Amino acid sequence: MNEIDVLTAFIEEGYQISPEAVDLICSHCSPGELVAYVLEHIDLSVLVIDVEHIDLESFNSSLHVNEETFKLSEELSPELEKSYNYNDSHDTNGSYDSYSSYQTSPISGFKSNYCNVDSPISILSDITDNSTCVGEYMEFVQFFRNRYTRLSDIIRGRITARPIESLKKGKGTNFRGSREAGEVSIIGMISDMKSTSNGHKILEVEDPTGSFSVLIRSADKDLFEQASHFVLDEVVGFTGTLTNDGNLMIAQKVTLPDLPAVNPKKTGSFGKAVLTSDIHIGSNTFLEEPWERFLDFLNGDTDNEALLEISKEIRYLLVAGDLVDGVGIYPGQENELSIMDVYDQYKKAGEYFHMIPKHIKIIISPGNHDAVRQAEPQPRLPECIRDYFPENVTFVGNPSIVDLDGVKVMLYHGRSIDDLVSSVPGVSYTEPTKAMVEMMKFRHLSPIYGSRVSIAPEKKDYFVIGNVPDILHCGHVHTIGVEWYKNALLINSGTWQDQTEFQKRVNVVPTPAQVPVVDLETLKTTILKFNE
Amino acid sequence: MGEIVVSDAMRDYFEELESNLHKEIEIANRARSRGRDPKPHIEIPLAKDLADRVENLIGVKGVAEQIRIFDETMSREEGALAIGKAVAEGVVGEFDSKEEAIEAAIRVSVAMLTEGVVAAPIEGIDKVTLGKNDDGSEYIRIFYSGPIRSAGGTAQALSVLVGDYVRRAVGIERYKPRKEEVERYVEEILLYRRVATLQYTPSEDEIRLIVDNCPICIDGEPTEAEEVEGYRNLDRIETNRVRGGMCLVLAEGLALKAPKVLKHVNKLEMDGWDWLNTLIAGAKSSGDDEGGFVGVKPKDKYLRDLIAGRPVFSHPMRPGGFRLRYGRSRNTSFAAAGISPASMYIMDSFIVSGTQLKVERPGKAAGMAPVDSLEGPTVRLKSGDLIRVDDEQEAIEIHPEVEAIIDIGEILINYGDFLENNHPLVPSSYCFEWWIQEFEKAVENLPYTRDELKNPSQELALDLCEKYNIPLHPAHTHLWHDISVQEYEKLSTFISENGVLSHDSKILELPLNLTTDSGIKTILEHLLVLHKINDEKIIIENPLPFIRCMGLDSELKKKWNSLPEELTETVQVVNELSGLIVRERAPIRIGARMGRPEKSNKRKMSPAPHVLFPIGDSAGNTRKMEAAAGYISSMNSKVGQIRVEIGNRVCPACGMDTFLYRCDCGEFTVPKLFCPRCGISAQKEECPKCGSKTTCVKMQNINFKEIYQAAFAKVGERENIEVKGVKRMMSGTMTPEPLEKGILRAKHDLYTFKDGTVRYDMSDIPLTHIRADELGIKVEKLIGIGYTEDIYGNKLERDDQVVCLKVQDLVVSYDCGQYLLRTTKYIDDLLEKYYGEEPYYKAEKLEDLVGVMLMGLAPHTSAGVLGRLVGFTKASVGYAHPFFHAAKRRNCDGDEDCVMLLMDGLINFSRDYLPEKRGGKMDAPLVLTTRLDPSEVDKEAHNIDVCDHYPLEFYEATQSYTNPKELESTFDLISARLGTPDQYEHFMYTHDTTDIAAGPLNSAYKTLGSMVEKMDAQLALADKIRAVDASDVAERVLISHFLPDMFGNLRAFSRQGTRCLKCAAKFRRPPLTGICPKCGGRVILTVHEGAVKKYLKVSKKVAHEYNVSSYTKQRIELLGLDMQSLFENDKSKQTGLLEFM
Repeated sequence: MNEIDVLTAFIEEGYQISPEAVDLICSHCSPGELVAYVLEHIDLSVLVIDVEHIDLESFNSSLHVNEETFKLSEELSPELEKSYNYNDSHDTNGSYDSYSSYQTSPISGFKSNYCNVDSPISILSDITDNSTCVGEYMEFVQFFRNRYTRLSDIIRGRITARPIESLKKGKGTNFRGSREAGEVSIIGMISDMKSTSNGHKILEVEDPTGSFSVLIRSADKDLFEQASHFVLDEVVGFTGTLTNDGNLMIAQKVTLPDLPAVNPKKTGSFGKAVLTSDIHIGSNTFLEEPWERFLDFLNGDTDNEALLEISKEIRYLLVAGDLVDGVGIYPGQENELSIMDVYDQYKKAGEYFHMIPKHIKIIISPGNHDAVRQAEPQPRLPECIRDYFPENVTFVGNPSIVDLDGVKVMLYHGRSIDDLVSSVPGVSYTEPTKAMVEMMKFRHLSPIYGSRVSIAPEKKDYFVIGNVPDILHCGHVHTIGVEWYKNALLINSGTWQDQTEFQKRVNVVPTPAQVPVVDLETLKTTILKFNE
Repeated sequence: MGEIVVSDAMRDYFEELESNLHKEIEIANRARSRGRDPKPHIEIPLAKDLADRVENLIGVKGVAEQIRIFDETMSREEGALAIGKAVAEGVVGEFDSKEEAIEAAIRVSVAMLTEGVVAAPIEGIDKVTLGKNDDGSEYIRIFYSGPIRSAGGTAQALSVLVGDYVRRAVGIERYKPRKEEVERYVEEILLYRRVATLQYTPSEDEIRLIVDNCPICIDGEPTEAEEVEGYRNLDRIETNRVRGGMCLVLAEGLALKAPKVLKHVNKLEMDGWDWLNTLIAGAKSSGDDEGGFVGVKPKDKYLRDLIAGRPVFSHPMRPGGFRLRYGRSRNTSFAAAGISPASMYIMDSFIVSGTQLKVERPGKAAGMAPVDSLEGPTVRLKSGDLIRVDDEQEAIEIHPEVEAIIDIGEILINYGDFLENNHPLVPSSYCFEWWIQEFEKAVENLPYTRDELKNPSQELALDLCEKYNIPLHPAHTHLWHDISVQEYEKLSTFISENGVLSHDSKILELPLNLTTDSGIKTILEHLLVLHKINDEKIIIENPLPFIRCMGLDSELKKKWNSLPEELTETVQVVNELSGLIVRERAPIRIGARMGRPEKSNKRKMSPAPHVLFPIGDSAGNTRKMEAAAGYISSMNSKVGQIRVEIGNRVCPACGMDTFLYRCDCGEFTVPKLFCPRCGISAQKEECPKCGSKTTCVKMQNINFKEIYQAAFAKVGERENIEVKGVKRMMSGTMTPEPLEKGILRAKHDLYTFKDGTVRYDMSDIPLTHIRADELGIKVEKLIGIGYTEDIYGNKLERDDQVVCLKVQDLVVSYDCGQYLLRTTKYIDDLLEKYYGEEPYYKAEKLEDLVGVMLMGLAPHTSAGVLGRLVGFTKASVGYAHPFFHAAKRRNCDGDEDCVMLLMDGLINFSRDYLPEKRGGKMDAPLVLTTRLDPSEVDKEAHNIDVCDHYPLEFYEATQSYTNPKELESTFDLISARLGTPDQYEHFMYTHDTTDIAAGPLNSAYKTLGSMVEKMDAQLALADKIRAVDASDVAERVLISHFLPDMFGNLRAFSRQGTRCLKCAAKFRRPPLTGICPKCGGRVILTVHEGAVKKYLKVSKKVAHEYNVSSYTKQRIELLGLDMQSLFENDKSKQTGLLEFM
C-alpha cells in the first residue's frame, strides 16, 4: 500500500490526514489492516488524522489475535503428529477398521455438537441450468460487455469517467491544452499491453464506444509498479492528460475495482466449515490413507482432544473441484490412473462421501478434471453422477456463491491461477493466495481471455465478483494458502494428490493432505495436517 | 575433390550439360542487362563443387580455396573443423570483431558438413554472441533457430564441437551454467517434446549431464508459442518461450549422435569432452537389456499417430503382412521399396507409385514403386476360391470379388537400405534367386534353362529334390511356419481321410462343407495353398509337393504314426516327415501403413499470385490487378491511385524517385534509404543519428492504372487477362516484380513462387534405368541427347532396350510436362515481348521438351541442382537418378521437391524478392550445382547396391541376423566405385519391372472426398486384410487423430480470436463495440461449431462398431457431453440427452 492508497482510503471516508501520519502508516508492516483499524476506531469528531490518532499498541494487540490463530494452526499440527498419530493409536488398539464398516455403523459415542442443528445452504449464484450459450459471435461480445458494465459501475463510484468515444469527438476542442480541464478519466478494458523502446508501457483500452491508448511512464515509479500488475481484459479506470494530438492519454492515476477500503468483517454465525479440493480420486497418486484418516476425523474417530473438539463443531464441508482425476484430461493420462473408468471414479468418490456423517452439509463444485464441460463457467455434475452421492451433498457449478447460514462463500476451482502466475509478477504456485488477492483487486476471478482458461460465452459474466464474499475458496494449484485481504478471507485448500510426473517436471511442489477449517463465527482458520 | 574421374562418354555428357547451361546464362544475362530486373545479371552463382557452394552460400571470400587444400588430406568432417578454425583465427576472411569471426567460422563449418546444400548454416544459426560467466570470463553462445533441423543430427552436434574448437583457438573460456539454467533446459526440452516431435528424447539426467559439461552455451531464439512454467525470467536466457533450435541440437544432435562426436573428439585429441563416454554408456545400459537375444521383435512405432484415411496394411510382423524379398529394381533402393502393382489394386488403390509407407523396418519410411516381377497378394474371393494375383490386369478384374486378403504380397527392399539403417539382416524369404544359386552350387552344367526352372511342374520340382538333394522349389513351398504343429497334424489327418487324388495326380479334391466347418479351409488359406471351389468341392491343383510335405504317400496314406515329439517347429516336422529339404517361405513379415500420399502438383502459394507486385487492400482479398487499376479511394480521388508499401529507389544521375530498377534516363537506380525513426535520409545501413537500421520501404501513392495499362501495352496483350498480385511484399527492400511478367504468366496459366520462379512439385522416386517406350518418347530422341548403348553394351536402336539413366537426367509426370511446356512458352513470350530477344525454346508439344535444362531444388535447402528432362511418366512422381536426389539432400522415403526451368530461374529469380523472415532464404536457388560428383552427395547414396544378383552367402547370412556391415565387401556398392569411371555407369539391378508407371495413378486417399469417407475406406480395408487388426486401427485413429482434433477445436473455440470480414484484421478477443474498430466491418468468429463437432458422430459410430476400449469410448462420450453443454441453451432445449448415452 503506497501513500496515495492510504491518502485515498482516508479521503474517500471523508477524513483529512497529515503527511506524518501517512508516513507512519506506510512504514507499518501491514498498512492495509492498520488503515482499516484506524478507520474503524477513529473518534467521529476528528477531522484531520494525525500521528496521535493512530493507536499502534492496541492495533498490534488486535493483530496479535490474528497471528495467534495462525500460530495455533502451526502448533496444533506438530502436536498431532507427535502424540496422536492415527496409525499408532490403531496399532495399540490392535484393530484398524476398514472404512466400509463406518458406512453401516458410525463411531459409537461420537456426538457432534450440531447433530440436530439445521445447517442451511442457499445458492446465490450458479450457472447450472442457466447456460444459454450456443456459441455465436454476439454472445462473446455480450459476455465481455457484461463484464465491462458491472466492473465499470464499481469504478464509476470512485471516479468520474467519460466514454472513450467522447475523447475523439472532443479532439482539439474543450479539454485539450487548457490547464483546468486537462485531466480526464476513462474506464476501459485492457485489450493490449506493449512496452516501448524507452521502457514505458502503452496500453490499448476499450469501452463499448471505442478504444484508446494510455501511456504509463516508467518515471512514475508507483504508477508503473501498479501497472506491472495489469493483465489483459481486466477493467481499469485511468485518469490523466491527453497529448497535444489527442491520440494518447498519459496516465497519472489508475483506479482498480478492488474491494472497498472498508469492508466490514463478517461475524455472527457458529460452527465450523471444512474446505478442501483437488481430491483426484482415481489417480495413482491419490493419497488414499491420509484421505481415509481425514474421513475418520470427520467421524470424530480421533484420540486427540483438540481434534475431537474441532470435529464436533463441523457443520459444512466444501469441495472446490477436481473430485476425481477424470479421463482424457491430458495426453497419456491412462498411464497414471488407478481407476480407468470415470464413472467408477465417481462411484468410489460417492462411497467415500457416504462415510461422512449426515449432519455435515457438503457442497461440491467441479474443476477441470471433472466430467462436465471444460469451458467455464461449468455447471454442476450431471445427474447420473450425482446419484452416487448421499443426500447431504449439494452440487453447484464453478464458480458459484453460496450462503452458509449467513457466511457468503465464493467457490472457484482456480484454473485462472495458471494464467495469473505467468503474467503477474510476484504471483507463484507456492503462494496461491497472492493470485487470489489479484482476483479481488480485479474484482474478477479470471480476467485473461484466450490463454489457458476456456470460457463459455454466457450472457452474464459469472466471474465478476459483485457482492464481496466473506470467503473466497479456490483450489487447482495443489498448494495450501490462507490470507486476509481487506477483511475477505482467501483460502486455497490444497490437495489429496501427491506430486505428479508433470508437477515434478515443472517444479511444482504440492502440499497435500492439509485441510483448512474455518470458524464460522470469527472466520479464524486452522490448518489440519493428515499426512502422517 | 579436384577433377572428377569420368569415362569419355560421361565427360561428353557433362560438357554438353555445361555448354547448354552457359548458352542459357548468356541469353539470360543479355536479357537482364536491359535493367528490367532488380539486378542486371543472373543472380544464381554457379558452383562446380562443394567448396564453391560453401563460399557462395556463406559469402566468406577465400574459403573455397582453403577447403580444397584441406580436402586433399582430410575427411569431410575433419576439413569442416579445420576450416572453422582457420576462419576464426583470421587465416581466411576478414572480420571486424571476434564475434563476427566466430560466427562465420561456425557457419562455414556447418555448411561444409551439410555439403553446402541446406539452409541450416544461414538460417539455422541466428547469431553467435559472447556471454559472461559468473567469474567474469567470457563464453560463446550459439543461437540456433528452427531451420537447424535441416542440417540433420550429426551436423547439429558437430556444430557445437566446431564452436568449442574455435573457442580454444581464439582463447575464450567455457560456459559455466548456473543451476537454474540447467533445470531450465530440462523443463524446456521436455516441454518441446510435448508440442513438437523429437526423434530422441534424452532423459532428465542426460540433459543435465550435457548442459553441465558442454563448453558452449547452446542457446536459441524462441520458436514455439509455449512458455516454460518453472524456470522463468532467468538473467542469461532471454526468453521464456521454448527455443526449438536449442532443443533439436541438444536432443537430436548431442544426445543422439554422441558416439559420432566422440569419434571426432578423440581424433582431434580435445579434452573436456570425456562426459560423452558417460552419456553413451548411460544410453547403452538402458537399451541393451535384451541380453543374448538374437533376432528381431515386432516394432509398432510406425503405427503411432495414425491418421484417418491412411490405412494400416499390416500390423508388426503379423502373418499375412508384406513378405520380405531382398533385391533392387531399377526404380527402388535409397529408401524406396517395391511392391507388385497387383497388391496396389487389391489393397483398394491406397498405394501407388510415390506413396509414402511408414514401415516397420529397416528404416522408418519408404517411397513406393511398382515392381511387377514380385509376387502379388493372395486373396479369398466371395466364391471361396483362394487365388494369388500377380497380374495387374487380373487384379483390377477380380478386385470387386475379393472377400479377404489373406496375404498382401511381397515387398522388395535392397541390401543397401539395411546397411544404411544399420539394421541386422533378417531371414530372407525362400525365393527363386536363392534356390537357383543353391541348385547351381550343387549341380555343375545346369541341365535346364533358367526359364524352365522358374516355374517347374510339380513332378519336376520333386524330381530335382530327389535327384540333386536340393531344397524344394519355392513355387511349391508353402508357409508351414504359419501353422502350429497341432494344426499340421489335424490337416494331415483330414486330407488323409477325406482327400481324393485324381488319377493323374494333378488334382486333389476335398469336400467343401466338411473342410470349411472343421476349420481346415482356414489352415489351407494360412498356408497359401491355392484352391478353387467347384461343385461343393475344394480343388487343389498340382498337389504332390503339398501331399509330400504332409507326410502322405501317393495314396494319401500317412507314412507316420505320431509326430516326432522333440520337434516344436512345423517346418522341422515337415522336413522330417517329407524327407525333403523345405525352407521357410516367408519367415519375416514387414509391417506397414500409409504415410503421405504421392504428390505431383504445381507449387502455389496460398492465395496464389501471378506476380509479386503489391496492391495493398485496393483489390480486397481477391488481389485482382484489374480491380486495383480501377480503385477509387474516395469520391474525389483519381482512379487507380493506390497506396502501397513499396521499396523506394533513386536515380543517382538525375535524382528522380522511382520504384523501377532503371531510370527513364537510362541509369540504374539504387535503393533510397532512410531511418524509420528519425526520418532522416541516409545512404547507409545504419542511421548515423540513432544507429537503427535504415530502410527504403515507404508507404506511397502510386498511379497503378497507368502502370497496369503500360504493362499490357508493352507485352501487346489485351486487358482481358486476369492477373493476381500480392497485398504486400515480404522482402526487406519490398522490390516488386515487373507487372509484365505477371501478365504473361497469367496468360499461360502459371503461378509464381516467393522468389519469382515457376515450380512444380513431385514425390522423389529413384530410377537407374529407362526404356524409351515407357517414357513416351522414341528411341531417336534418346540417341539425340547422347544415349548410345543399352545395359548389355549393345547399340541403342530399339524403343524397348533398357539403358542406364544418366545422373542428371529426369523423368517427370505428364502433368509436370504440360506445366513446363507452358513455362517454356511464357519464357519465350517474355524474351520476345518484354526483353526484345529471340524466343529460345519454341516448343510446341511435349516431345519438344526432351533435353530441356531444368533445376531441381528441395525444401530446406538453398542449392539447386542442374538437371535435364529426358521423358515423361504417367505416375505422379518425379523419377531421377538416386544421386540427383542425394545431391538435393533428399532420399526417397516419401520426400518431395520441385523442378523448374533453368532459364526461368536464371531470368526471373532475384534475392530481392525473398521474404525477410526466418526461413526466407530456404527453398531458394542461392547457388547452382552444375556437375554432380557422387563423392559430394549425401553419403546415404553410397550405400546403394548395383549388382545384378545377391550372392548365396548373403541369403545364408540373413538366417543368422548378420550385421549388414559384415557383408559390405561382397556387394557391388557405390562406395566401392567412387573415384572410378564406374561411379556413373554400368549399374545393374536384381529385379526388373515392365512399367515404372504401373499400378493406379492416384492414391485413394486423394480421390476419396471427406475425412469420413476416407476413414470408412480405411476401416473397410482393415476388415479385409488378415494381417490387420481393425479394432486396433479404429482405436489408434480415434486416439491420435479424431480425439485430439475435437479436443483441440473445443479448446480453441473457447479461447478463440475473431476476425473482420472486411479488412481481415484479427483480434485476440471480440471488440466491445462488436464491430471492427479499424474499418467498422462485421467481425466473425474464427472457430465454428461445425469445426468442433465435425468428427463427433463418426467417432461415436466407429468406437461402437469396432468396440474400442471403454476408456476411449468414455473420452468420446465426455467430449460429446462437453459440446452439448457448450452449444445448447439449457432454457430452450432439454431434449437430446438420449442421443449421447
